Amino acid sequence: MTGLYDVSHRHEEGAATVARHPVPKGQPILELRGLQKKYGAVEALKPASLTFLCGEIHAIVGENGAGKSTLIKLLTGVIRRTSGEVFWCGQPVQLSNPTEAIARGINAVHQEVVLCPHLSVAANMFLGDEMNNNGLMRKGAMTAAAQAVLNDLGFNLPAAATLSSLTIGQQQLVATARAAMRGTQFLIFDEPTAYLTRQESAQLFRLIRRLQGEGVTIVYISHRMEEVFELADRVSVLRDGTHVGTRKISETNDAELIALMINRTIEQIYHKETLPIGATILETRGLTGPGFEDVSLSVRAGEIVGLYGLIGAGRSEFALGLYGRQPVRSGEIYWQGKKVEIRNERQAMNLGIALAPESRRDQGLCLNLPIGLNINLPVFDRLTSGFTINRRREIDNADRQIRDLKIKTPTRRVLASAMSGGNQQKIVIGKWLSHGAKLFIFDEPTVGVDVGTKAEIYRLFARLLEQGAGIILISSYLPEVYELADRLHVFRQGKLVASHGYRGGSHEDVLTQAIGV
Amino acid sequence: MTVEATTEAAPVPKRGMNILFGLTLLGLLLFLWLVLGFATNSFWTPNNISNLLRQGAMTAILAVGQTFVIITAGIDLSVGAVVGFASVAVAWLLAAGVPLWLAMIITLLIGVLIGAFHAFGIVRMGLPAFIITLATLTSLRGIGLLITNGSTISITNEAFTNFSRADFLGVPSLFWMVIVVAIPAYVFLHLSRWGRYLFAVGSNSEAARLSGVNVNRTIYLAYILSSTCAAFVGLLLASRIGIGNATQAEGWELQAIASSVIGGTSLFGAVGSVQGPLLGAFILATINNGANLLNVNSFWQRIITGALIIIIVYFDQLRRRGSR
Repeated sequence: MTGLYDVSHRHEEGAATVARHPVPKGQPILELRGLQKKYGAVEALKPASLTFLCGEIHAIVGENGAGKSTLIKLLTGVIRRTSGEVFWCGQPVQLSNPTEAIARGINAVHQEVVLCPHLSVAANMFLGDEMNNNGLMRKGAMTAAAQAVLNDLGFNLPAAATLSSLTIGQQQLVATARAAMRGTQFLIFDEPTAYLTRQESAQLFRLIRRLQGEGVTIVYISHRMEEVFELADRVSVLRDGTHVGTRKISETNDAELIALMINRTIEQIYHKETLPIGATILETRGLTGPGFEDVSLSVRAGEIVGLYGLIGAGRSEFALGLYGRQPVRSGEIYWQGKKVEIRNERQAMNLGIALAPESRRDQGLCLNLPIGLNINLPVFDRLTSGFTINRRREIDNADRQIRDLKIKTPTRRVLASAMSGGNQQKIVIGKWLSHGAKLFIFDEPTVGVDVGTKAEIYRLFARLLEQGAGIILISSYLPEVYELADRLHVFRQGKLVASHGYRGGSHEDVLTQAIGV
Repeated sequence: MTVEATTEAAPVPKRGMNILFGLTLLGLLLFLWLVLGFATNSFWTPNNISNLLRQGAMTAILAVGQTFVIITAGIDLSVGAVVGFASVAVAWLLAAGVPLWLAMIITLLIGVLIGAFHAFGIVRMGLPAFIITLATLTSLRGIGLLITNGSTISITNEAFTNFSRADFLGVPSLFWMVIVVAIPAYVFLHLSRWGRYLFAVGSNSEAARLSGVNVNRTIYLAYILSSTCAAFVGLLLASRIGIGNATQAEGWELQAIASSVIGGTSLFGAVGSVQGPLLGAFILATINNGANLLNVNSFWQRIITGALIIIIVYFDQLRRRGSR
């Protein structure tokens, strides 16, 4: 049996297949003894001993930089361990390269989709394992087979469509379907729901349970506590490269896990202070542009205006329109009472608008450049005296943001790509703190960010509000906007369809308005 | 947490590695000079060194211009053709009786216009840099041949042709031109905000745009600088060979790209320096010069150059992966 679906031709050719239940359910399938990884002098993973039981859903939680990614890379053979032993079904194994891991049935679904965007969904699902007829691809057969798999999984996705025409969330589902289709004994999910809508998450969870029912062992990495409690049988906590404990899910709770993860208790993640609301900073009237229609809203000093909706509902598009990145077709923008036109990003910045965009990777950061350059990018004109940059001011500004935001790096010269998600988000925010704005737009600021950093970001919001700024907070994560926003606007299909006061309406109301049922 | 407490928790900073890489190239260059000094009698003669500096100078200037473009993750394939075209332009202008200073300014302005046209094609028409500069590569040769009707235009202006043979403080004037270009280029790329913008655009143009960087203007700047450097080299070449000929400088664009890449510039953008391509250009010039002195078949020189590109870029890749 090659997996859930026997559509792979591998089977026909009698290539290596994996046994369905390599070990009895509940027995150790993968055992790590003193597994350790060092990069030079840096110990990314301190000797960890962990056991994964056959057929369980094993969650792994920890802050960014806790060693979760290192652990995944070790298990999938992307990197080699420095020391320690790994036992697969009781036998010692090397897991020295990805091929070996895959041959044993260890697969991973990554947070960022690693598929070919220009190929069709079906072609991606069969990538590297195409059905062929004497070397010629059987495209029709593959599309049909892929469609059958997708339908069966309950994913409403067209197998013939080009992958890039799907949303990131849908692409994630394709990646999962691909892993499910292949011979998988042991499937690792790395924050799979970071870009998924609620419906997509629900579909994914059903699939995960189903795989579990088939005897597949699941490792589930997530920042979202409620997902861990919904899905997992057991949970292991990593902190600063150390495995600090494993609990049965029935014998633990949020508070204990968070305490283990950050070694301190957060009495309140959603830090909300009620501040006096000041004058209106920004008002839009009937703003219409690509992807959003007739949006009228206002932001006042000292308040957070939340924009909630499914991905593609027009929230980010509205933000880009407001920021001058996308042309606005009609409608008016009033800045501190005066009518303004914003034609490009520079104009928006000069007014005092800052945008921390949705995707850190694609819009927020120059990943292969140093942290310092990223932080200073919006303000180089101010760091320049004469023709050249004032080196002292450049260094001071970068170092100040790194210090203030507690970005975990030895120097500003480290490349942004070397940072974890939470630290990258801090760099994006740091850019705009040094710019100094009156209106901050945060688009999905806490995607892929750990609990500790989340709390830091929320405290930062409070600090900005105290200084008299206004905030537009865009999020797909309802508890976040619900708990933080003074006013919450719901977007659906490009339009603003409902508005609530602070904690107005129930979660269900807001969700229903966003989905439109 | 304090900054000090996490000192060892992230990868090695990059700057030390860059200096190291620069030193490695310099070491390679000095090593080549040493070896050639031992292997031949004629290498360390004033004549040969002057010759070497002249040979390397023009590629070096082209490579610096090319590097600006490559840092933005672009490519300029037209520079060789621009050199040839500029030589025709200045020769034609001089033959038409235009004063030397004006002829030189007009030639440089032609370089500016060609660069602006490249950027226009990229920014406004949405063409890949590879395509638009490939198109001008072939068209400019054609226009040059049309103007000269396939022949060459001789330059009779002695002051102009003497320049390339002249020395200043015992160093060939052509090499001085490298310094004249390199110092402002260094200030521009490494000390001014425009340089930072080039890197930002090459790394992630969308992030740069959202940070208020005028991406289009930055692209214009890069291509104009590259073409202007090429037009400048065209002047130097015309001065050196005393003619304007549209087919001159054949394949120099590849020399320039090779020098830049050997000098540590990444074709994926956002990595590069001014000193790197300079060293790269003189390493290539030394290899050609040495091969001539050692009577190595000139066909071998091409093979050696190719092998060198592979080896150096491979080691550069290893270094980058190591620093991750």
